[in-house]
Amino acid sequence: MSSEKKNEVILIIKKIMKKISEDVIIQKQMPILDLPKIGYDNTVWSNEKRMLTIGDKKIEVSPDSVKKIPTFAQYLVMANAVKKLLDEDMESTIRGMYYATLSNVGDEKNKQKFWNNQDNSDDAIKAVELLTGIPREEFSVTSKPKGMISGPIKLRVGGDIIDCNLGSRSTSQLIPTNIGDVQIEDVKADFVMVVEKDTVLSNIRKSGFIQKYNAILMTGSGEPDRATRIMVKKLNESWNKPVVVFADADPWGLGIALRYKIGSESLSYDSDRLVTPNAQVLGMMFSDIYEYNIPEVARLTATDEDINRANDMKKKPWLQDKKWQKELNLFLNKKEKCELDAFFKHGFKYLAETYLPQKLRQIGLI
Amino acid sequence: MKSPNPATSVLKQDEQKPPNNPQQSVKMDKHKIIYNKKAESEFFVDNSALAGFTGERILYMAVRELIENALDSCELFSILPSIKISLKTFDQSNDLWILDCEDNGTGISSDKLPVAVCSFLTSAKYMEKQQRGLFGVGLKMVAAFSTKDTDFPIKVWSKSMEEAGEYYFELRTDIGTNKPIVLLKKQVNKSESHIDGPSGFRIRVVLRARLVPITKNKIYDYVTQTSIVNPYAFITFETDDGMFSFDRRTSIMPTPAKEILPHPSDMDLQTLKKAISKHSGQKITLPKILCYSFQKLSYEKAKEIISNADLDFDLKDTKISFSEHDLIKIVNICKKTKFQNPNTDHLSPIGQGILTIGMMSEYTIVSNKNIETSSDNNKRDAMMVNEAKKLNHDKEDKNVSKTEASNIGVSKPNFSVRVLQPVLTAYTSRTGIINNRPTIIETGLAYGGDINSFKLFRFANKIPLLYDEGSDVAREVVSEVEINKLGITKKQAKEQFSTNKESKRDRVIEVLPIHIFFHICSTKIPYKTAGKESIASEGELKSYMKSCLSELYRKLSTQIRKELKLKEAENKMKLYKHYLPFIVSAITDSLGIKNSNLDDSFSTLIEKHLTKKSIGVGDDDNVVNNSEPPHSDFVPESSLYLSNKTVDLEKKKLTVSKNYEDIGDKSIKNTKLDKALSNSSSNSDASLIVSYKSKEKERRHKNDKKIKKSKKN
Repeated sequence: MSSEKKNEVILIIKKIMKKISEDVIIQKQMPILDLPKIGYDNTVWSNEKRMLTIGDKKIEVSPDSVKKIPTFAQYLVMANAVKKLLDEDMESTIRGMYYATLSNVGDEKNKQKFWNNQDNSDDAIKAVELLTGIPREEFSVTSKPKGMISGPIKLRVGGDIIDCNLGSRSTSQLIPTNIGDVQIEDVKADFVMVVEKDTVLSNIRKSGFIQKYNAILMTGSGEPDRATRIMVKKLNESWNKPVVVFADADPWGLGIALRYKIGSESLSYDSDRLVTPNAQVLGMMFSDIYEYNIPEVARLTATDEDINRANDMKKKPWLQDKKWQKELNLFLNKKEKCELDAFFKHGFKYLAETYLPQKLRQIGLI
Repeated sequence: MKSPNPATSVLKQDEQKPPNNPQQSVKMDKHKIIYNKKAESEFFVDNSALAGFTGERILYMAVRELIENALDSCELFSILPSIKISLKTFDQSNDLWILDCEDNGTGISSDKLPVAVCSFLTSAKYMEKQQRGLFGVGLKMVAAFSTKDTDFPIKVWSKSMEEAGEYYFELRTDIGTNKPIVLLKKQVNKSESHIDGPSGFRIRVVLRARLVPITKNKIYDYVTQTSIVNPYAFITFETDDGMFSFDRRTSIMPTPAKEILPHPSDMDLQTLKKAISKHSGQKITLPKILCYSFQKLSYEKAKEIISNADLDFDLKDTKISFSEHDLIKIVNICKKTKFQNPNTDHLSPIGQGILTIGMMSEYTIVSNKNIETSSDNNKRDAMMVNEAKKLNHDKEDKNVSKTEASNIGVSKPNFSVRVLQPVLTAYTSRTGIINNRPTIIETGLAYGGDINSFKLFRFANKIPLLYDEGSDVAREVVSEVEINKLGITKKQAKEQFSTNKESKRDRVIEVLPIHIFFHICSTKIPYKTAGKESIASEGELKSYMKSCLSELYRKLSTQIRKELKLKEAENKMKLYKHYLPFIVSAITDSLGIKNSNLDDSFSTLIEKHLTKKSIGVGDDDNVVNNSEPPHSDFVPESSLYLSNKTVDLEKKKLTVSKNYEDIGDKSIKNTKLDKALSNSSSNSDASLIVSYKSKEKERRHKNDKKIKKSKKN
């Protein structure tokens, strides 16, 4: 991370602190931290950007009530911890930040924890992002890497080059989470294929898919982390590589596929950096269950939660086109879901050598 | 039991003189059973346990008897009692103690005094009315024990209302004959007078006894609790631990009990015969005798009873001598007849006003160790401050305010008198028939304030019961009345009040800072044992007590819920204050400066803000009905407390605005302190100011209360 960026973050944090102390000492008024509200009720679909963006609802965090003072204290403590981290020129995961700021509040009789759990401290880190306007990767707070990449692409991380094509038939690279330090050096692939799970990715990679179709294989291992999303976006928008996404044929999997394409409610403030609106969600469609004759034994019965989710999705503006409405109706009708792994029932190579090429051919990618 | 034919044998016994002279029956015949007559004094000394005088309890019982006699003697003529009692080591190597008790009661006239002090079963209290002492045993027991165990005379000074001048006696008991031995009797000159007032009684005895710590505590408890139910008495109690004084908090005394006629449903052969013999010389018919001798019995009703009894003699005959056979018929009819409930003039309950005063200012003797545990919160706060000076300062303050009663020099510092002031009290009572006698059950409840733990107080005829609490009916009542009548759940009670969350006490009520008082007045208290320390669940007594306690809970429920809210808010507020250091250190840390007045300004700001808020909230919380009449269900003190709170809030506002102006000044003063503290990155600096301030407020609050209180009295 450049020392310039580092200094910028430190400066912003100091500014915030200074403002608060001036409010208190000179203005003698309650300091207020203004930040956009995060979450479901402040997420707006932007037709123009084709992604979820943050609305204009604000929250004011101020130590003016018994309820709000812990939050206020948490934000400031986290901001101070971030500054310390940068002062020491170190990196930390979000869990590391949780531990670094862990403490008890109160005396023997009224003791409680400063953080109830890591979710609280994660929220505080988000708040620091919002207050500073700088994503956490850029102030060296990262998460555990879990995204994987494999294929003809070279990354530069710090001073080292990672060639993801090396041995790409038998292994994948973890996508570094300190994305601020990662540059894409060279991409030789024709397109990028993102799958939901690493198990599926391994199967496809082993089949020689990468070499055969000159593709980059990626996965977020479930919910994609920010680094994976950013990498997908960069490949699509900076390197002009088409992106296709495959996830399980259930509302949950569809949700994950859509993270890449439209973003998420909890990170809607950062969509501009994370979302790849041009990504195409190709599968697995609910209709594929029947078109590819997934045997009944490999299908799963939808839970109530799945049904509710699907009903919800049907109303979303980004799923209004006929194709998706048809798919969702089919699901609500049949109440059956299916994982990509179910294709193994047709043979271990069926997914990589039959299903995926067929799907890609349909959109003319290969 | 006595004889298969009661009608005749009882008569005979009455006519006969007591059994044969022992000398006569002493014959050298082996098979002859020897019958001896024992003097009452000898009997009681041999069976001292009957009167509670057992081993360790001797001093306790002696103190108790003397105090009870003193109070009875004062109350008889509504004299405000002033009792000075002292128990001190006299000769440690021989376990000798000097017990001295002086009262300002009626005194005992000089001709009766030796008998009254020394002869067992001599009493002025043999009548149907509520008194502490009943049997004419207690004082005699003290005298007999002194005679038995030591060679010191019993010294008595008495100034009776009936005669002029003060008399001084030196007495001993002739235990063999139940007669007093007067060693010295003289009229005391005014200059040597031991009794200041117009009348009074003072006794000084030497007793041999061991005083184990448990008994000592019981003696202290006894005096303490006596003072609670007799707030109109001024008591000083001097021991080797120092002088404890219990102030008189009111000049109102309970109406003295009046002697009454027995109730006809309680009639038996003995009472009937007594009634008839009382009127034997007069020319009165039997129905008249009945209606003169029993309450709730009209002439008509008496005639009806006698006709129902189907007696074969002329009702108008006034000279007839009745056979027991006839009389028992009358008794039988009376047992079957329904009468009006007996009146309760012979009882002297404490009453709402007096008990409330007692509860509002509980004088207790505490050892310093206890004080420390009770002021635990403050201590902990002070620990946070981590400044020994402040700790001392606060403690001193506390002691000044709490022990103002112990204005007389305390020779040893480890015991002192503390006045507990609850924030809420309630009172309720019931009257019923238990054990065939009218019984008044009074219950009181004191909550919060200086009271920080649960305690059950039991009284019978204004006498504190201290032993055998576990087997007392009151204990059962407390366990059986559900706490939810207080309007709070067990969970809430545990969460908000339990200091030790792991404690597994099943009776939730015991985590509450609550004192429960039961007082039972009757001429026949259903004691469980001869020791008279616990009350049995006789008849409907328990259900009366339960309904009393339920009612008290209900009365307090609104208030307690409010208290609970306050407590919750207070707990939250405490947490709130603990967050401040985090904020302050985050700011100063990241700015890399030691801003000396940030914490100060911050806490001022927040306090000001919260005050504004809590006044807003407080408005509907403090709906104080000051126009409440003093004898309504709710005790006036509770509203007093609440109104105090409002005053306090106003005060708070004032101080805050004052602080506001002072900030500049203060920041200079605090710079040094802050420098010292901010070096360690710990966050205690802000809490220091906060806790200090809150303490200041607390103190002010206390003082306010004190002032109000004293004005009131």
